[in-house]
Amino acid sequence: MGSAFGRFLLRRLGLSLFTLWLVSVVVFLGAQVLPGNPGRAVLGPLADARAVAALNKELGADRPPVQIYLSWVGGMLQGDMGESYSYRAPVAPFIGAALVHSLKLVGMIFLIVVPLGVGGGVIAALNAGKPIDRIISVASLSLTVIPEFVSAIALILIFAVILRWLPLSATWPDGAGPLTQIRYLILPALPLVIVLFGYIARMARAGTVEALSSDYTRTAILKGLPWRTVLTRHVLRNALVPTITVIAAQTGYALGGLVVVETLFRYQGIGNLVLTAAKAKDFAMLQAGILTIGAFFIVATLIADCITVLLNPRLRAEMGG
Amino acid sequence: MSRIIKNLGSLRLGRSALENHVIDELLAGRLDRRAFLRHGSRVGMSMAAMAVALKTVGFDPIGEAKAQTGKPGGTIRIALTAPAGKIDPVTVSDQYGLLVLQQVGDFLVLDGPDLTLKPMLATEWKPNDDGSVWTFKLRKGVKFHNGKTMTADDVVASIERLADPANGSNALSAFKGILSKGGTKKVDDETVAFHLDAPNGNFPYYLSSDNYNAIILPADYSGDFEAHMVGTGPFKLEKYTPKVGATFVKNEDYWGGPPLLDKVELSFYDAQQPQVLALLGGQVDVIQQVSVQGSQSLFNNPAVNIIRLPSDAHRQIHMKCQKGPFADKRVRQAMALTFDREKLIQGLFRGWAALGNDSPFAPIFPSTDKSVPQRRQDIAKAKQLMADAGTSGFDVTFTTMSIQELPALASIIKNFGAEIGININLKIEDSGAYYGSAVPGKSDWLDSEFGMTDYGHRGIPNVFLTAPLKSDGTWNAANFQNKEYDKLVTDYVAALDLQSQQEVAGKIQRLLLDETPIIFPFFYDYLTAASPKVKNMQPTAMGQIFLQHATVG
Repeated sequence: MGSAFGRFLLRRLGLSLFTLWLVSVVVFLGAQVLPGNPGRAVLGPLADARAVAALNKELGADRPPVQIYLSWVGGMLQGDMGESYSYRAPVAPFIGAALVHSLKLVGMIFLIVVPLGVGGGVIAALNAGKPIDRIISVASLSLTVIPEFVSAIALILIFAVILRWLPLSATWPDGAGPLTQIRYLILPALPLVIVLFGYIARMARAGTVEALSSDYTRTAILKGLPWRTVLTRHVLRNALVPTITVIAAQTGYALGGLVVVETLFRYQGIGNLVLTAAKAKDFAMLQAGILTIGAFFIVATLIADCITVLLNPRLRAEMGG
Repeated sequence: MSRIIKNLGSLRLGRSALENHVIDELLAGRLDRRAFLRHGSRVGMSMAAMAVALKTVGFDPIGEAKAQTGKPGGTIRIALTAPAGKIDPVTVSDQYGLLVLQQVGDFLVLDGPDLTLKPMLATEWKPNDDGSVWTFKLRKGVKFHNGKTMTADDVVASIERLADPANGSNALSAFKGILSKGGTKKVDDETVAFHLDAPNGNFPYYLSSDNYNAIILPADYSGDFEAHMVGTGPFKLEKYTPKVGATFVKNEDYWGGPPLLDKVELSFYDAQQPQVLALLGGQVDVIQQVSVQGSQSLFNNPAVNIIRLPSDAHRQIHMKCQKGPFADKRVRQAMALTFDREKLIQGLFRGWAALGNDSPFAPIFPSTDKSVPQRRQDIAKAKQLMADAGTSGFDVTFTTMSIQELPALASIIKNFGAEIGININLKIEDSGAYYGSAVPGKSDWLDSEFGMTDYGHRGIPNVFLTAPLKSDGTWNAANFQNKEYDKLVTDYVAALDLQSQQEVAGKIQRLLLDETPIIFPFFYDYLTAASPKVKNMQPTAMGQIFLQHATVG
């Protein structure tokens, strides 16, 4: 099995690198369509054309686009992410800080939502048709449709403005310890917890219901295995495969797509970094930001696929295990 | 009367012809107290001399500094939108970067909220007879945050840096045709002379806090401002984090005396809504600027003070004058006559705006000729003008940006147009797409035949008169070409005294009202929001917030 799994991993990694390169080309082409130029974005629409030209020259933004792209690729191959046009400083520290921020927020979100969602879904499935199932199903469905910007504002008003229990801005003071950081992250995590809870709970419920009615579960029960063993070894193991895929897919989104949450909670995550970079035509920042999100998305999907393969005996068998 | 003449006689001794002219204007009753202060300060009269003159004619002298009411010490927390990019005094282009600069840096001249110039790093300034050379005397003993004393060399280097086209300077468009590289000359260690490209009666405004970029830096400044932010200002940098914020501590050696606050904390936000929530939640004390649309929850809230500053910030609605449906000026006049300006001001700004009369001369400028009749909605006349122009209506696209009230205003304009058969299709886009490369052919702003652009507050109307309206103006989206207008603007810019400025202003206002290349529907107030515990904070419509005397709690 080892070599087959290794080959699978290697193939996937190669494919991932190719995907990332493709992404960089798309970003490059997209950046050409964006209106304006970096010097103009820094100096504003009312600045003198001579000043804009001078700044573009200083930044190197007046070179032909293909040359800019190629020299950026050359830098990347040597581990240099390039310089930001807007901040006139290396891109890497910006990406690093924003990535750490985003990962902390994503971690907080999944720390809350995975146990809640999976637990809720499994409980609903085990009580299928009973009132508790209905409550969980209706709640998950109605929570999913609340957009983040609506729930975020409601949460801020209740917990930060009226009750003042939690800080409103997610940017914690310098030198804050892990517990303080968690306190600052609870409120910003909740809007996405609300959205994802329904998603995960419904996947977990459907998977569990399906697994409960499957032949292998019936066999396991008829074999006389204890219910607890049936549940953990046979039902959940199979039921949660699709749920893991969903969670992995959401990781990429939660990492880069939380612009609204980041804005409302004044949190410097990678979503906002990419949005600002796109507006300012900040080429190196935009590339680095999108590639970072892309890389994490790919890694998350890869991990999910590996878990699926390892959990699913049929797939394992197909790979010669 | 004889006493007055005698008092003024002694005051006049040794004053320039210009200063005496301002005193004459005051005596003749053509200047009120505010206008006198404004124009006296512009030609470089000292506060003491102006106080004597005011007393002589029966005005209150200039008020003493405000009584201190709050408790010294503490930190003031201010919310603002994140500045676009690196904080560098040479390139900063928005009021957010300006707010950062202004904590640590000073200008030669201060343009306060009443548009009166006050001494800052310069103590006196005087023009020559035609206003083509202005000489500034510098304050003695001013220290930079690095301990060095400010001299004329620093001032010359700071201004020359801005006037040099090779530096990507954001002041270049303001200095164009006014001050070129090489025009700033050291006279002695405490005196600098500015040799202008053309006579200019309002030159001190270009070196005042009106000009975002004109803070005085050490002569050897090399572009690394963010690291230390060395200036002469009331606060010193403690920490700056791009995209997040900055903290400053008070400068004990400030030439104007140490500030009362211990610290200033600026927090950057990406939108207005979280700033409003942060003020309501007590996490910040001040929001630099709020708009009426986004801040409804702050109005009528006893826990929030809204500070209103009259300003000349406005929206320009341009119509292409050379070709297309608006080539006939009667059609442009008709479009302007459909605007119900009072209703716009009530509906969009809670009444917190002044009426515009289709010229840049806002009511707050003292040079504005108030006798020019105000244009009001008149649909019948508009229809008549359309008929005279031989059109019963047409389709046209109206292009603008999706910021603040612009989309709402665009829909109202669509309805206005429908009243006289002009069928307006709206094209509302991101501001980046609207401005494009900001050169003709690559910019929806400059290329659209009908569109709307936002313009911020300035201390004098000069930039509004030239860039968007002169035949060679770089922001001339209306393609307005009028030799007579160009001549009048040159005269206005050169005019040294208020009376001649007003005379030319009246002519310009009447000409623009007739030609109507641009509709100026209103000039909206600058709004700053603050917690009631903040005292003696002084915002300006430029976006500065002066905190030397401010206290919290």
